[in-house]
Amino acid sequence: MKRKWFLLFLILTTTSLISGCWNARELPDLALVSALGIDKNEAGKYVGTFQIINPSYVTGGLQGGGGGQGPPTTVYSSTGDNIYDVTRRLSTKSPRTLYYAHTNLLVISEDLAKKDGITNILDAFERDFEFRTTAMVVIAHRSKAEDIIKTLPPLDKVAAVNVIKTLKNTESLLGEEPTVNLQEVIHYLVSPGKEPLISGLSLKGEKKDAKKVTNAQGSSTPKARLEADGIAVIKDGKLVDWIHGKTARGTGWVLNRIKSTIVNINWEKEKAAIEYTVVRQKTKVTAHTKKGQPKISIHIHAEGDIGEVSVPVNLNDPHVLRKIEIEVEKTIKKDVHDAIHRAKENKTDTFGFGEALHRSDPKEWNKLKTDWNDVTFPKLEVDVTVEAFVRRTGLRNKSYLSELKNNR
Amino acid sequence: MEKAKISAYQLFVLIVLFELGSALLIPLALDAKQDAWLTILLGMVGGFFLFLVNYRLFHYYPDILPTEYMQKIVGKSFGKLLAFLYILYFMYMTARVVRDFGEMLVTSAYPQTPLFIINALFLLVIIYTIRKGIEVVARTGELLFFILFLLGISGNILIVISGIVDLNNLQPVLEEGIMPVLKTTFTQTLYIPFGEAVVFAMILPYLNQSKKGKRTGVYALGFSGLALTLVVAINISVLGVNLTTRSQFPLLSTIQAIQLDNFLERLDVYFMLTLILGGFFKIGLYFYVAITGIANLFNFKEPSKLAYPMGIVILILSITIASNYAEHISEGTRFISLPIFLPFQVIIPVSLLIIAFFKHKKKRGK
Repeated sequence: MKRKWFLLFLILTTTSLISGCWNARELPDLALVSALGIDKNEAGKYVGTFQIINPSYVTGGLQGGGGGQGPPTTVYSSTGDNIYDVTRRLSTKSPRTLYYAHTNLLVISEDLAKKDGITNILDAFERDFEFRTTAMVVIAHRSKAEDIIKTLPPLDKVAAVNVIKTLKNTESLLGEEPTVNLQEVIHYLVSPGKEPLISGLSLKGEKKDAKKVTNAQGSSTPKARLEADGIAVIKDGKLVDWIHGKTARGTGWVLNRIKSTIVNINWEKEKAAIEYTVVRQKTKVTAHTKKGQPKISIHIHAEGDIGEVSVPVNLNDPHVLRKIEIEVEKTIKKDVHDAIHRAKENKTDTFGFGEALHRSDPKEWNKLKTDWNDVTFPKLEVDVTVEAFVRRTGLRNKSYLSELKNNR
Repeated sequence: MEKAKISAYQLFVLIVLFELGSALLIPLALDAKQDAWLTILLGMVGGFFLFLVNYRLFHYYPDILPTEYMQKIVGKSFGKLLAFLYILYFMYMTARVVRDFGEMLVTSAYPQTPLFIINALFLLVIIYTIRKGIEVVARTGELLFFILFLLGISGNILIVISGIVDLNNLQPVLEEGIMPVLKTTFTQTLYIPFGEAVVFAMILPYLNQSKKGKRTGVYALGFSGLALTLVVAINISVLGVNLTTRSQFPLLSTIQAIQLDNFLERLDVYFMLTLILGGFFKIGLYFYVAITGIANLFNFKEPSKLAYPMGIVILILSITIASNYAEHISEGTRFISLPIFLPFQVIIPVSLLIIAFFKHKKKRGK
C-alpha cells in the first residue's frame, strides 16, 4: 500500500516537472520578428528597427474579411550601444517579448557598412540560439535600413517575405544578385581568401508614403517600392564599392551562382539582336603556381536556348548556331573580365581566388595570404575560357522576320 | 554480477550507440582542422587495437568481470585498488557525459531552466532503466537504434539535397603535413570515443556467445567510426573549418543550415532526438558499469539498490566538475587525455594483458 502511494506521488511530481512548462512562452505573448534593420544614429548609437508580424491582419481567412483593415506588419525601433542592448531596450515599447526564430531578413544600412563596417554587429546574431544564421543579409542602398523595414509592399503582405522573394527571383532569372545568408557572410569575412558580397536593396519612389497602408492599396502603381539594387563589395568588413548590371552578372559567372540569365549578343552591327537564355551553367576555378607566380584559370560551361531574335537569322543552320555560340562566349568572357577588372581596382578578392590557391598550393598561399588583397590579387593573372552551347531555339526555327525580309 | 545475457547483435547496438553518444555532440578532433575526419579514421584503427586487448583479457577470464580478474592478475590488494580506480573513472565519465548533455540542452533549447533540473531529470530516467538491468538496456537499445538509424539516414539525405555541402572546404588535405593529424589522433580521437570502449570489458562477460564478441566489437567500432567520419566531414564541408571550430555544437549548426524550398528548415529536433538517444545509452552504460563494479568489488548482493544513491553522487559531480561549459570541454578534450584516458584506456589494459599472458604461459608450462 505504502509503495502504491509513493508511486502515485512520484508520478504526479514528475509529470508536473517534465511537462516542459519551465520557461513556456505562449503565442499571444510573443511578437514574431520578420525582419530586423540596423542603423547608426548621429550620436553613434545603434538603431534597431524591428518588423513585427500582425497575425490577424496577415492571415484573415476564417475570421471573415481578414487583411486590409490594418497594416500586416508593425514596426518598433529602439537605440542602444550594442545589438543586445538595442533588442532588450525595446521592451520599454513592446507589450510582447520579441521572438527571433522567424526572422529571415537582416538589413544593414549603407552608412553603417561604409563607416563602421559590419564586423562589430554580427556576433550577437550568430551567438543567439533563437536567431537563425540562415537569415538573409542585405544592405540598404541609398536609404536607411529603417526605411526598408517600414515599407509596406503590395503583393506579399509581409515586407521581409517580399524582399527575399524579389532577391531570389533576381538571382534565379537574371543572375545578378547572389544572395547570402548570415552564415556565409561571416564565413567570407573571416576567410582571408574570399571577401563577402552582399545584395543591395533600395527604396524607390516617394519615401514618405512607403509606410502607409495606402502604399499598397488604392492604386495599381505603389508610390514606393523596394528594388534589388546592386551588390555591395565588402573589404575588411567595410563597404567599398557597389557593382551593378553586367559587372554583377560577370561576378555571378565566376562564383558559379548563375541559375539562369540572359546574354544579349550583337549580330551584324545590330545591337542586342539575339537573346540567349542560359539554362544550365557550371564554372570551375582552379589555381596553380608557375615559378612562384600564382595563376587562376576559370572555365565556364553554359548551355541555353535562343529566347528572342530581332534580326532575320536562319536558326535552322547549325553553322549559324555555332556563330551565335562564339558570340555568346565572347560576351560572357567580356562580362567576366569586366567583373575581374573591377574587383582588382577595388583590391578585393570577391571571387575566392585566394581560397582556390589555398586548396591547390597551401604552402604558396601561406606566403601570400597576409597581403593577398592589396598586393597579389590586383596583379593576378587570370585566364578565362568559356564554352557556350545553344541547345534549342524555342517553338520556332526561323523567325517571321526572315519572311518579312523575303517579301520585300 | 547479475545473471543476465545479451546477444551479439545487442552488443553491436550498444557499442554503436555508446560510441556515437557524445562524439556527435562535441566539437571533435578539430585541432587537425579540415583533416579532422582523417584523425577519426586513425583513432578508429587504434580503437580496434584497444578493443582486441580487452577482448583478449576477456578470453583469458571469460566468466568474471574485470574488477575481479584484475585481482587475479596483479594480486588481491593491488588489484582491488586498481578496480576501485576504474570505478572512480567510470563515475567521473558518467558525470562528464551527463554534463555534456545538460549543457547542450540548456544552451540550445532551455535557456532559463537550471542545469541541475535538466541533469536530474535525465538521470532519473537512466536510474530507472539501470535498475532493470543490462538486458533491458540492451533491448531498449535494439528498439531505439532503429530510430537513430532512420534519423541518421534521412538527416544525411536532407543535408545533401539541400545543396549546402561544399567539398572544397575539405581541401587542402594534409595542409601542414601528417604531424597535426597524428598529434590530434593520439591526444584526442584515440580516447574519445574509441578508447572509451574499455567500458565494454565490463559488458563482455554478459555475452551469450562469447566467440562472437571479437567480430561484433570490431564491426561495431568500424561502423560507428565510419559514421562519425562521415558526420565530421559533412560538418566541415557545410560550415567550413572556421565555423566548425567556433561552434559549440557543430552538428546543430549543420542541421540548422538545412533549407529546402523555404518550408523544410529549422530541423533542430533531428539533432536533439539523435543526441538524446545516444546520450541516454552513453550515460546509461557508464553508470551501469560503475554500479556493477562497486557491487562486484564490495560483494554487494543487489546492484540495482545502488542506483539511487550513486545517481545523487553523479548528479552532484556533474554540476561541480566545471564552472562553465568552456572549462568542461577543454578539460575533456585536452587536459584529461593524457593523465586519465591514457592510463585507464591504454596503459593499464595493455600491461594487464602482458602480465596475464605470461601467467597463462607459466600455467600451461606446468
